[in-house]
Amino acid sequence: MIGALFYLRVMSLRNAVVSRFRRLKQPKYLVGAIVGAGYVYFAFFRGFHTGRAAAHHGAYPGPVSLPPDLLPTVLALGALALLVIVLLGWILPDQRAGLTFSEAEIAFLFPAPVRRRTLIWYKLLNSQVAIMFTAAIITLVTGSWQFLGGNALTHGIGWWFILATLHLHFIGASFAMTRLMDQGITPWRRRFAVLGLIALVAVVTLAWLWRDLRAPQGSDFADFRTIADYLSTLLASGPLPWLLLPAKAVLGPYLAPDVPAFFLALGPALLVFVAHYAWVLRSEVSFEDASIAKSEKRAAKIAAVREGNWRAASGAIKARTPAFRLAATGRPEFAFLWKNLLSTFPVFRPRTFFGVALAVVAGCQWLGTMPGYRGALAAVGVVALLVAAYTLFLGPQLARQDLRSDLLNADILKTYPLRGWQVVLGELLTPVVLLSAILWLALGTVLLAFHPPGFQWLSPALRLALGAGLVPLVPVVCAMQLLVPNAAALVFPAWAQSMRNRSERGIEMLGQRLIFVAGQFLVILVALVPAALAAFALIFATQWLIGAVAAVAVAAVAVLVILIAEVWCGIWWLGQRFDKFDLSLELRP
Amino acid sequence: MIEVSGLIKRYGAFTAVKDLSFVVRPGEVLGLVGPNGAGKTTTLRSLAGIIPATAGTIRIAGQDLAADPVAAKRALAFFPDEPRLFDYLTVRQHLAFVGRIYGVANPEALAQPLLEELEIADKAEELPGALSRGMKQKLAIACGLLHSPAVMFFDEPLTGLDPLGIRRMKDSILKRARSGATVVLSSHLLSLLEEVCSHVLILKKGEKIADGTLAEVSARFANGEANVSLEEIFIRATGGTES
Repeated sequence: MIGALFYLRVMSLRNAVVSRFRRLKQPKYLVGAIVGAGYVYFAFFRGFHTGRAAAHHGAYPGPVSLPPDLLPTVLALGALALLVIVLLGWILPDQRAGLTFSEAEIAFLFPAPVRRRTLIWYKLLNSQVAIMFTAAIITLVTGSWQFLGGNALTHGIGWWFILATLHLHFIGASFAMTRLMDQGITPWRRRFAVLGLIALVAVVTLAWLWRDLRAPQGSDFADFRTIADYLSTLLASGPLPWLLLPAKAVLGPYLAPDVPAFFLALGPALLVFVAHYAWVLRSEVSFEDASIAKSEKRAAKIAAVREGNWRAASGAIKARTPAFRLAATGRPEFAFLWKNLLSTFPVFRPRTFFGVALAVVAGCQWLGTMPGYRGALAAVGVVALLVAAYTLFLGPQLARQDLRSDLLNADILKTYPLRGWQVVLGELLTPVVLLSAILWLALGTVLLAFHPPGFQWLSPALRLALGAGLVPLVPVVCAMQLLVPNAAALVFPAWAQSMRNRSERGIEMLGQRLIFVAGQFLVILVALVPAALAAFALIFATQWLIGAVAAVAVAAVAVLVILIAEVWCGIWWLGQRFDKFDLSLELRP
Repeated sequence: MIEVSGLIKRYGAFTAVKDLSFVVRPGEVLGLVGPNGAGKTTTLRSLAGIIPATAGTIRIAGQDLAADPVAAKRALAFFPDEPRLFDYLTVRQHLAFVGRIYGVANPEALAQPLLEELEIADKAEELPGALSRGMKQKLAIACGLLHSPAVMFFDEPLTGLDPLGIRRMKDSILKRARSGATVVLSSHLLSLLEEVCSHVLILKKGEKIADGTLAEVSARFANGEANVSLEEIFIRATGGTES
């Protein structure tokens, strides 16, 4: 039987890999894979190689190493963190143990003549692929943590020991907690018992430490070294070294400074791992009911994720009151705004906007009158500027309550008695409103709070003129930003479909997303060029005649007209595209 | 009334619907039948304006679907086999949204009797996620009926319904037809056609094999035999294969 399960696992893995390679025949995946691989190389590997080469040639002295005497402290602190994670695993869960099986695995394996212990073994085998992959990714991402010593291989194996042992511990703990539930011990009684035990151990430990150690004094916190020394003494006193011993053993291979130390640390780590493995395999409890429930939830979640519906996937959908009352008659486009606002968070309401705006104005005015808080006011301005930049450039990728979310309902949208441009305009309204509101607040804060040296020419009147100019400009720029991903959804629906499925992972998906983000920036830059040129020309030409404030106002009007024209052309063109859009044709393989 | 003339739908080199012409008058219920891949759903989706026809003319309630799609769509309702609903809108909010889109004068007054007729009035404040498959189907039907369409298209209307739901759906279709609506439905269930349809159109590989009243089509393929079942007629008409 184990042979059959092993065959299932190996063949599934093999076929998954083969299908990933096969789909590279499609340009959208091939191009994505090339771009993604290039990004990964330049982001992680190139720096690693060039850094090593530079160190080798003496260009720079190489990475800073952790002083050897600090290693026991780092090990003890890491073990303490691991212990906290483990304890949380005994306190937080309130469900019965349920190993995660796919629906197909449940359909085939649960009625099959397979022992429960074999199913557990199969799940442990299954989880290894994910654990190894995670260990490799963490090693890659934390490649620069060379100050800990060791090398990529020892770090990778070290991470595997940590993750695999934790995984086994959580399964074992869930089995033990299920057994307690079967004996009538409720989750709350168990939590009280665990917390009581922790409190008891803490009291005993503290009493022990109190007897042997002096209380910390100000000099113990003088610098990093004195803090480390005190912590080192603390963690090596009383029962703490014994309490932390298993966790230290698990962390040993990762924190080994060199290869001999790594091999020495392998023994204790392996011992803890094998003990956990034996514990889990011997702790047979009835997990089938919980597994089936878990599998159904997981299947629903996967289906929701494949449709790009992340809030449904998180199970967070609740009926809520609309942001405004939808009148029976009026422009149909506003019905889309009303509908799509219902899919956002309830905080996005007019009263929230006005409340925050009031708080910003009052807060900035107050900070402005307090000479001692000028620095804080400047910090608020910088943070607001960052929020504005983030909203402007990344907001359109996050606020997706538009055609991207509704494309799967295109069949129904197309039966509505509306022109294509009306559907596109209606669908764009919600993200435009949301992003504009955030940008207005952020830019308003910047204008109120940002007073950097050398910007004295930015008079209150000029700030007011800038603010007034930005009010109508912001929604138009947001609409332009949003046109790009929506156009992508209509023009390249197959690409957009595969990208909507955020459960899709891999280097090719990373590359696809990078291409889209880069494309968006490029289109926006090109679209902004005529407006920016017109604005500069107008300000340059008119400020001598009518003053800076009026020149800014004239330029803002010109920019607004140009951008509105561009956005309108985009909406009209997308509407034409939507009218001709044939989902069944576009998504054919 | 639905008037279709020379309808062609191509996907690249593949022709899904070939030169299809027919007329369905008010009060008639036309059943579209055919083997898998015959082009039933493509035909329905073309008639409802969901996908553009490659060639041909479609008139819905006298309005040319290509020339004035908004006017034509105002007169029709399309009911897909799988109800397509918005996850974040409650039952009542769905009706409010659809009412505004179709410009229904007093949607709230119309919605309540519809919800009661379809027996989902007690679910008015629920989200689709909390509804059973049958309830979702009923909500989709309520949304389609809110603007009192003159023309209705049903794609496999009985999918996923329980026996009581099937009975109610048949009654609902017949009730709308009797009150003057033009109905086209596609289904694999020949018993549904026998009970509900006044006319039938048999498609195979995108081509019309036969159309007319049930009696006319039966007579054409019965070869003079008496009491030939509709199933037998269907098999004779389509040659018993998909290809």
